[in-house]
Amino acid sequence: MKKKGSFLAPFFYKQSKVLFSGDSLNLILFTFIVLLGFTSYYFGRKKAYRIQYTKKRLTALPQFYGYYLAIWCAIPAFIIFSLWAIFEPTIVKLLILSDYSNQGYLDNELNLIYEKTKSLSRGQFTGEITPFIEASAKKYLNLRSIAQSSKVVIVLSAIIASGAYAYKRISSNSRTREPVEKFLKAVLFTASLAAILTTVGIIFSLIFQTIDFFKVIPLFDFVFGTHWYPAKAFVRDSSEALDPSMYSDTFGAVPIFAGTFFIAFIAMCVAIPIGLMSGIYLAEYASIKVRQYAKPLIEILAGIPTVVYGFFAALTVGPFLKEIGNSMGLDVSAESALAAGGVMGIMIIPFISSLSDDVITSVPQSLRDGSYAMGATKSETIKKVIFPAALPGIVGSILLGVSRAIGETMIVVMASGLAANLTLNPLESTSTITAQIVVILIGDQAFGDPKTQAAFALGMSLFLVTLCLNIVALRVVKKYREKYE
Amino acid sequence: MKKNGVKMIKISSKNVDVFYGKKQALFNINLDIEENQVTALIGPSGCGKSTFLRCLNRMNDVIDICRVKGQIMINDFDINDKSCDVVRLREKIGMVFQKPNPFPKTIYENISYGPTIHGMAQSKNEMDEIVETSLKKAALWEEVQDRLHEPGTGLSGGQQQRLCIARAISVKPEVILMDEPCSALDPIATAQIEELIDELKKDHTIIIVTHSMAQAARVSQNTGFFHLGELIEHGSTDKIFKNPENKKTQDYITGRFG
Repeated sequence: MKKKGSFLAPFFYKQSKVLFSGDSLNLILFTFIVLLGFTSYYFGRKKAYRIQYTKKRLTALPQFYGYYLAIWCAIPAFIIFSLWAIFEPTIVKLLILSDYSNQGYLDNELNLIYEKTKSLSRGQFTGEITPFIEASAKKYLNLRSIAQSSKVVIVLSAIIASGAYAYKRISSNSRTREPVEKFLKAVLFTASLAAILTTVGIIFSLIFQTIDFFKVIPLFDFVFGTHWYPAKAFVRDSSEALDPSMYSDTFGAVPIFAGTFFIAFIAMCVAIPIGLMSGIYLAEYASIKVRQYAKPLIEILAGIPTVVYGFFAALTVGPFLKEIGNSMGLDVSAESALAAGGVMGIMIIPFISSLSDDVITSVPQSLRDGSYAMGATKSETIKKVIFPAALPGIVGSILLGVSRAIGETMIVVMASGLAANLTLNPLESTSTITAQIVVILIGDQAFGDPKTQAAFALGMSLFLVTLCLNIVALRVVKKYREKYE
Repeated sequence: MKKNGVKMIKISSKNVDVFYGKKQALFNINLDIEENQVTALIGPSGCGKSTFLRCLNRMNDVIDICRVKGQIMINDFDINDKSCDVVRLREKIGMVFQKPNPFPKTIYENISYGPTIHGMAQSKNEMDEIVETSLKKAALWEEVQDRLHEPGTGLSGGQQQRLCIARAISVKPEVILMDEPCSALDPIATAQIEELIDELKKDHTIIIVTHSMAQAARVSQNTGFFHLGELIEHGSTDKIFKNPENKKTQDYITGRFG
């Protein structure tokens, strides 16, 4: 009994069209909850006004009653709605696959059956249809429609129940301001928690893979090894047992750490003088009109995507340097550290110039007056009074620039090549931590392989380096912050 | 101070007008300042007395939209003339501001700042001496001699203001301009500064802007009364306070407006 999927497809497709498709139903329900939230605000406020009209004193401003009702109407419904969206597919899957239990299928076979069922029910299945799968697909559609209608019923009754409860509670002496304020506090707390939890999550995802990596590769080899050649690990046949000895002299991170700091150093050599001087010019010398136009123009540099800088470095600056070098009889690689670092420096200029402009401008005018009144010239004042006073902020902006330089990826991948040479010659190509992570993680890779885990180890060390820089930057800024005033 | 029985005029302003953009802040100010005397400038807020003070060392140059017209002669030399070097001018005319504004440096560096930029000390010893005498003249030496290399911003408000005075006198200016130097200080610190001003007038000509009538009466020999950008009346402090010619001056001094 063989049927072509395309033959049956319209039947299933049509049946699923009878109801709303799941997505549009969700959208309608969501919109309904939002709209109801807004309208209930007006109902709550209106009731508060009515109470006020009977000359009773309210315990809060009328709009708090509105917010109170809106929160009670929308939030419980919204929570049920989201939980439903998260758990519905899992439950449906369990119910479908319960038909196949005790038949000796493996886990991935079961998964395959479920995928077939789903695509048949959507009318997109093109393979061979067995009666089992057909039955499952019918059951799937049936379950989905039951789930959808019960979702609508439950969400709506939640709205009605919680809304009615809150509406009844609105009276002249009910407390509404405190719950609303508490709710806002909870929302704000959740927002900040989300950021912190993400950081913690990132660290943990790095830590476990890093630990696995160092189980195979000794930490000593990684930190002090001078030969980085992860391609060697590609060659391994995955069926072979893991033999740590074959990785000796493969994951020595010194060349890429050196390359990272070297390119960052070149970048800062470009960015610090130019950024600082333009910052000083903007803050102290430029007329209001020049400043008005020059500052946004410089900040445009910060808005250019790094990939654009990348091909500017790879296709314009790199070849240009090579040609100049060749004409002078120098051997310049087209993918030189100088091109990547130089362009990276240009990218960082706006950070330093804009931030140092801000900190210089925020040095109190009274200090400038004091210096001018002593007969100091403008440059003496800048050099001896303003610059030292603004130094913490300037150091902070520079360290921020350094962490950008160390973390920058795209320019290096495009312009400086991927061969991890241990070199201090800016005309040769070199590679960085970030570029190596890209090399390792794009394309095929096997988890649990030291080659892949090396990326996590690199990510972890990069994270630690930038973390240290940020801590130092914060310390510096904090220590000197109150120096003037 | 009188030489050959005639009062020496240190600063003489003739027909001075000051504009901020299109708004005129001072109208035709004619005022002579006597040497080695304290001259107080009084008047209600916004009357232009600080603006006039800032004309005398050309601090108004710092403000882009500010224009000064007229003649200000110091030692018979027009400071608004093109040939006037503003760096030299400010070396000769020191200034102390309303809010103490020590540099965020050590006490020693605060004082040595002026002498360094004007190349007044050839050696470390000479500089040490300048710092010591300046601090002594500002009556601060006793309090800070053991912590010269601690930040000047760590001092109390009154000490900071005396530090600023020491900084101003470190370059031995002929004139010291003081813009409400005591308005941010408590009565004890104010008394110390007033005592100091009296001491300083031996070597310097002092012009002080103040909101306190009592202070003007205590420290000054001459007083000028400003109102709405005009110099209403000026003369000896005794005369202005006891027997003012102008009705407005009398009203202001007796506290009827202002």
